[in-house]
Amino acid sequence: MKRLFSNLNLNKKLALIAIFLGLISLFGSSPYDSSLVTVDIKELSMESVKNSDLIVSAELADKIIKGEIDYRLIDLQDEKSFSDYHIPGAVNVKLPDLHSPEFLRNEKIILCSDDDLKSAQAWFILKARGYKAVYILKGGLKAWKDEILFPEINSEKIKTSEGKKLVEISKYFGGIPQTGETQNKQNKLKQMPKLQTPANTIPVNIPKKKKKEGC
Amino acid sequence: MIAPFYKFGLFNDEISLIVAFLIGIGFGFFLERAGFGSARILAAQFYFYNMRVLKVMFSAIITAMIGVYYLSWAGILDLSLVYLSDTYLIPQLTGGLLLGFGFIIGGYCPGTSVVSFATGRTDAITFILGVTFGIFVFGEVFPLIEEFYYSTPMGALTLPEYFNLSYGLFVFLVVMMAVGAFVLAEHVEKKLAAKKGDN
Repeated sequence: MKRLFSNLNLNKKLALIAIFLGLISLFGSSPYDSSLVTVDIKELSMESVKNSDLIVSAELADKIIKGEIDYRLIDLQDEKSFSDYHIPGAVNVKLPDLHSPEFLRNEKIILCSDDDLKSAQAWFILKARGYKAVYILKGGLKAWKDEILFPEINSEKIKTSEGKKLVEISKYFGGIPQTGETQNKQNKLKQMPKLQTPANTIPVNIPKKKKKEGC
Repeated sequence: MIAPFYKFGLFNDEISLIVAFLIGIGFGFFLERAGFGSARILAAQFYFYNMRVLKVMFSAIITAMIGVYYLSWAGILDLSLVYLSDTYLIPQLTGGLLLGFGFIIGGYCPGTSVVSFATGRTDAITFILGVTFGIFVFGEVFPLIEEFYYSTPMGALTLPEYFNLSYGLFVFLVVMMAVGAFVLAEHVEKKLAAKKGDN
């Protein structure tokens, strides 16, 4: 057999190898079914211990106000909650759709949800799929609501520059700061701001990366 | 390390240009070494005197196909991240036919004309000028043909998907097709050479 093979010329050898590999591939599965991934458990656990994978609401608000667009904000809520309210610039993605997401591996991704568990699951899926920079909005949309839209500011704090900044940020996103006076009257009015304002005043459209492939 | 490297962020846009440059040089080098810098060899394909184009291109296709299939099978390549251009059936068939006519008349396809120009052939630079002019005309009349250009859209489609075959079976069929084509090509070449000898 071996002798027979070595007697053939190069072309025939190559043809035989190709046929052999083609025959084996008959028993292979679809190359698109690559849902199996390897995970570096040590790296993942280190990151979750260091909390380096969290981003606080204030930091995110700051980014949005400054118009920074170096990240992708992924909202994991269901459709109804998403259409009720979402952070300006957020894109609604369902957890199962993260199986084959359309964003690049080197993009900065911030996950937010009304459910911390969902964010954590999404974080793990993306990390396992090799995404480098995946962050979770700390406390999720509840924290966003409490800290950015309706921050509680007592009468002393409101005089400080820090307090004033909080009021401004809250108003920017269409929220109502819970100061001493408003707290009693408006407690029932903690309605989520309408999406039209101020969402359209912020440059939130992430420019699509140009397709570089093709001939 | 998992491919495609660019999509996994192994290098950025700038480095990707350097990588593209190096791969381009390699591509051009092998096209030239295969003899594709000569319009005579390229045009002979269409008259079946010289089947080199078929042999080289088909070898390249099955090598790449087997490589991609086994790499993604081994988990080294994430094929879902490899860009597939969309299919627009009728416009692409028309475009292919037009390109074929240009290929026979001019003796080059766009890539090989550049390779041939690199070796100093003047017919190649004429061809390149023609290609450039054609691109310009296409750009100018695009609004008129835009509707046709985007007609019969089929999305990013692959043949195994369309025919509902397994990818493995398809790999095998293409390999067998290639081997069959090689055998046939050699046969035709010998026959035509003998005929030529007779005359």
